[in-house]
Amino acid sequence: MKSLWKAAAALTAIGLVLTGCSAGGTGGSGGAAKLEFQTGLATSDPILKTLTTMTQKFESTHKDVSINLVPMTNTYEADMKVRLASSDIPDIWATHGWSLLRYSDFLEPLNKRSWAKNFNPALAPAMENKSGEFFALPADTDVAGIVYNKKVLADAGIDPATLTTWDDFAAAAAKLKTAGVTPISASGKDSWFAGNIADFIASGAVNKSEKAGLIKGDFASGGYTKVLDLVQSWQKAGYFNADFSSATTDDLTRSLAQGKTAFIFVQNYVVASALGFVPDAELGYFPIPSANGKPYLVGGEGHAYGVSKTSKHKDQALEYIDFLAQPDNLGKLASAIGGIPGLTNAKSDLGVLQASYEKFVKPGTFPLDPYFDRVYLPNGMWDTMVTTTSGVVTGQSGVTESVGQVKKQFGTLYGQ
Amino acid sequence: MTGTTKAAIRTKVRRRAGAPFAARRINLLYLPAILLFLGFTIYPLVNGFILSLSNWNGYSPSRSFIGLGNYFRLASDPVFHNTLINTFIYGFGSTILQQVLGLSLALALDRAIRGRNVARAIIYLPVLVSPVVMGTMYYLLFSYDNGGLNDIVVALGGSKIAWLSQAGTSVAIIVLVNSVQFVGISMVIYLAGLQSIPTVYYEASQLDGADAWQQFTQITVPLLRPAFATSVVLNLIGGLKLFDVIQVLTGGGPGYATNSVSTLIGKAYFDNQSAGYASAMGIVLFIIIAVLTLIFNTVLNRRRLEGL
Repeated sequence: MKSLWKAAAALTAIGLVLTGCSAGGTGGSGGAAKLEFQTGLATSDPILKTLTTMTQKFESTHKDVSINLVPMTNTYEADMKVRLASSDIPDIWATHGWSLLRYSDFLEPLNKRSWAKNFNPALAPAMENKSGEFFALPADTDVAGIVYNKKVLADAGIDPATLTTWDDFAAAAAKLKTAGVTPISASGKDSWFAGNIADFIASGAVNKSEKAGLIKGDFASGGYTKVLDLVQSWQKAGYFNADFSSATTDDLTRSLAQGKTAFIFVQNYVVASALGFVPDAELGYFPIPSANGKPYLVGGEGHAYGVSKTSKHKDQALEYIDFLAQPDNLGKLASAIGGIPGLTNAKSDLGVLQASYEKFVKPGTFPLDPYFDRVYLPNGMWDTMVTTTSGVVTGQSGVTESVGQVKKQFGTLYGQ
Repeated sequence: MTGTTKAAIRTKVRRRAGAPFAARRINLLYLPAILLFLGFTIYPLVNGFILSLSNWNGYSPSRSFIGLGNYFRLASDPVFHNTLINTFIYGFGSTILQQVLGLSLALALDRAIRGRNVARAIIYLPVLVSPVVMGTMYYLLFSYDNGGLNDIVVALGGSKIAWLSQAGTSVAIIVLVNSVQFVGISMVIYLAGLQSIPTVYYEASQLDGADAWQQFTQITVPLLRPAFATSVVLNLIGGLKLFDVIQVLTGGGPGYATNSVSTLIGKAYFDNQSAGYASAMGIVLFIIIAVLTLIFNTVLNRRRLEGL
């Protein structure tokens, strides 16, 4: 009998240890509120430094609140999905473009906060639902084109404003290649670079009726085939970087800053990283060419932060978000990102990108199309876009095969 | 019956009466292990199978039952078929390479040569390193810019090579890296096997005029069969489940070209938001590994018995 009691005690002890191991969360309801903020930012990201300074300022005036700014891992999206699936949800997190389509069921609507009246209307198609609710504070309004090295293009005698068709772009790429510069750099390792290429081109290549069909669940292959045909033509011409399969973000931004690469299809935030390698690098962005000679910009939700609707410290978290939304703070955040503020009452310093903004964005000459995948493809298609584009860039997959894969995945995810 | 005999019988009876309690106590001690096994092996397996019958996206509170739909999809998915082929290449390729290298090293280091203990330790050392670290080290070796291998190629007057941009070379590199890392396990298993063979067999065969090759094929190989069985099964399971090295070296790319079933499961679950489909792949991988292990164990054990 004594053994039985001993065994029961041992089991209880194991149980207590396991319970102790699993006890996580964000602090109890008593005492100081400890908030967890999944920033979606790498430890070396200059934006995280700005956010840290700002958060320390908030904490100094709110002694009952402490905020843990968690840097991202390279599996941020997967981490967040696991957290949501296991109901272990952080108090605040970066929604990385998905505040509406993926995270809105888990987030507190913010459209009734005092600063909501300053919400940039350009973000509405990407961030607002039909009831006019939005679920994250937009630190910036993401406006993207093709990022380029100004000096490299000037040396080759190329004016980016004249690159209005894909033929113009290909001619410029050929000229750059002859001059010993890698025309386009991307990566299959830090794979969003490959996905961006397809995403940026698709906005112009897929026509209106095909887009309407996509929203209804009908994938017409024509437009997407044009996208990958273009990519394949660049691959065959040798316009992509030779280290496509192994290049990291740092490799690409270093190459751009050093003038070894001319173009990168990516959002403007990489410029901060590039300037880290060459502080006086001359960088800019220009509208994306199209087949019909009508260039466009792409954009939508950029860096945005939402509050969990089930957070134990929702009030404090909302108070913190309100603090970030103050014009001065939001302006600093947008400046660190190198983007246009997400609230109309804030101002940012765009740094080296100011000239591109003045020339291509401010006049409103070029339409701002939403990111293709976020509007026309079901949630979860991004990886298929990345992988199929990567396959075409490396010559490992043909266009027909890749389009077939995209179509199949579209059918599956649309069905979900 | 003497008093001593009676006392002995009484003790025996007491022991018999106590036996069930002792057995109960032992059974109770199994409980923590059983609970852990149920919690960390059986529950995930059953839950994984149930999940494979749904179209859950991996994070939403709701999910719908779709029967065997995910399994039918697997049967017609060319990406999965290609991935399955890769998985077999990783499994069998690594196994073959590790047996050849492991046995060769074991034979070389079984002899009384100077520094053999240091050599054994160096060869075994990578086993202790995390596959992620190993993958990163080899990534730095094979990467295009600033890669160690390309630095050598350039120093010798050649042009840089994009080692990881072609499916064939990438798969071969992954097999090589995995084999180099875990060859130490095979070597240790074979060394243990070699040291368990009595030297008297070799002495007797020498008297009969057998040469070194005959000794190897007629004595060493048959008596190493138990070690062979263990090494093959361990390496095969490791190779079929390969994940970390692929993830670090190529991320499954270019395209889908170097995925193993394990890496494709990660992509399907977390990136494509097809948790149900990913679970179906996991169940299929489990069945494949279980069947292959069973076959290999049966065949190799039968041979072992025949060899005795």
